[in-house]
Amino acid sequence: MEGLILFAVSLLSLGAIYTILCLALNLEAGTGPLWDLGIVSFFGVGAYAYTLVTAPPAAAYQGYILGLGLPMWMGLVAAGLAGAIVAWLIGLPTLRLKREYFLITTLAFAEAIRQIYVNEEWLTNGVAGIYGIAQPFKQAVASANYGYLLLAIFLVGLTVVALLVHRLTASAFGRTLKALRENEPLAMTAGIDPRRYSMTVFVIAGLFSGIAGAFYIWYATLIVPTLFTSDITFFIWTAVIIGGLGSMRGALLGGFIFILLHDLLRFVQVSADAAVALTSLRTAFIGVVLVLILRFRPNGLFPEKPVKNLLPDMLKEASNA
Amino acid sequence: MLEVEGVSVAFGGVRAVDNVSLKVGEGRIVGLIGTNGAGKTTLFNVVSGFIRADKGRIAFQGQDITRLTPPRIAALGLVRTFQTPIGFPRMTVTENLLVFSRREAEQRRRLFSSGTVEPDVARRAYAAMDAFGLSAKRDVWLQDLSAPELKMMEFARAMMADAKIMLLDEPAAGVNPAVLDTLAGTISSLQKAGMTFLVVDHNLKFISTICSNIYAMADGAVIAHGTPKDVLANQHVIDLYIGRKSAEPVSNEGRGVPEHA
Repeated sequence: MEGLILFAVSLLSLGAIYTILCLALNLEAGTGPLWDLGIVSFFGVGAYAYTLVTAPPAAAYQGYILGLGLPMWMGLVAAGLAGAIVAWLIGLPTLRLKREYFLITTLAFAEAIRQIYVNEEWLTNGVAGIYGIAQPFKQAVASANYGYLLLAIFLVGLTVVALLVHRLTASAFGRTLKALRENEPLAMTAGIDPRRYSMTVFVIAGLFSGIAGAFYIWYATLIVPTLFTSDITFFIWTAVIIGGLGSMRGALLGGFIFILLHDLLRFVQVSADAAVALTSLRTAFIGVVLVLILRFRPNGLFPEKPVKNLLPDMLKEASNA
Repeated sequence: MLEVEGVSVAFGGVRAVDNVSLKVGEGRIVGLIGTNGAGKTTLFNVVSGFIRADKGRIAFQGQDITRLTPPRIAALGLVRTFQTPIGFPRMTVTENLLVFSRREAEQRRRLFSSGTVEPDVARRAYAAMDAFGLSAKRDVWLQDLSAPELKMMEFARAMMADAKIMLLDEPAAGVNPAVLDTLAGTISSLQKAGMTFLVVDHNLKFISTICSNIYAMADGAVIAHGTPKDVLANQHVIDLYIGRKSAEPVSNEGRGVPEHA
């Protein structure tokens, strides 16, 4: 029983990290106009930036740059900045493209970046990866209870990101993003420069995803290139679509629902052979759920709804009088 | 107010707009007619900055806007409509209007500006909704409005944007006769309030009712201009719309430019 609870805590921690990614993706692709199939790029770059900045210098048998051994909070800042900068660099060429081409190109960039982790051993220690990365406040609680503390940290991070995303969405900037999503030529006649605002939201998504990458390192305590395949991108898209693209609640719950669906089968007590079979079936199971959602609730479990009562009410009475 | 001088646009070998000049005086309603493919919408796209002119000059209120981008041109007070008036479908009437307010244009630059709408902006939004009968729909997504309501949104947006001139691309398309009268009434009352219009439409009766001045285009060039009465009596225009009395029925040239145009 104890083990199951610890497992559930670990699952929720991963869910919180995924949910930050969901919020970032939903901001750019649900509220905004960017069909980004490369969100894993910022996640991975953030994770590597965190690791390289906070890890001790590379040992003789390793090869990676920096290893500055800086404090963790500086690692977090570096992760966010790295995500944002990479988003900006990828955005420079790709934001000139129309939606479908943007989607293909961001996917290609994500794959190219993963190949860099794998092949540039002087930079990232390649496929051997970096292990034993320190976790925050490790000494503060008994190691048996550390999972709870880590979950709490992630939930605080998630809350901060959620509040920021909520504020961004409700502002004039958020309406600008929606206008670009809905009808770009008309948005231009409202004085909106599509590239400027697309770039802004792309960089913000990169920033949040980069920070999620650092959290992921706290969770995993190791970094290897296979953590950052495009599977992550598709998982996050699936989660956001299950929740409801364009809906804040959808993004918040979609991440957790996805993780639950993805790892629920682990709770089933079966023989080792059956467990292997079930593991292979996980992705198929998610696929079936996605098909069912798209068939019966195409706008997700918590669809985007019209914004009500945006204007102050007393004025309405005044104008009716 | 709006002056187009010798503007030409070519798509490959096709001269979509060919040395077109026209003037729209302040407070006037000027019409632009012509068959499909005459270049009317292309001309709109050039004026509003969506397509760059190969040649010629466009001035708005004395300022050269030939090389400005669409957002810059819109910010000067030149608002265009599109043939399909869908607006922003999954945004409410209120949101659709707010996006066009001048205040919002400043606020959107600041990422964390509060979502609360300032009183004078709200007042404008209410006034625009009241003027066009949209008050009851303020929290409704545009995709759930009726076609006439969507037409009214076009004007409400322009009012919100504090537009000085509206370029209407086929406002009468798909509108039933009863609503058409309302539409004509709306346009004239906005004109009385100081708005200037350049209107493209196929409905000649509608155009000649509301416009003081009409330009007729064919194959990219202006073939006639003047009062509605004169233009509609012009032989080239009649040829264009009804077809020429021709000795060669096989030739389809009646659609095109008369040889001496």
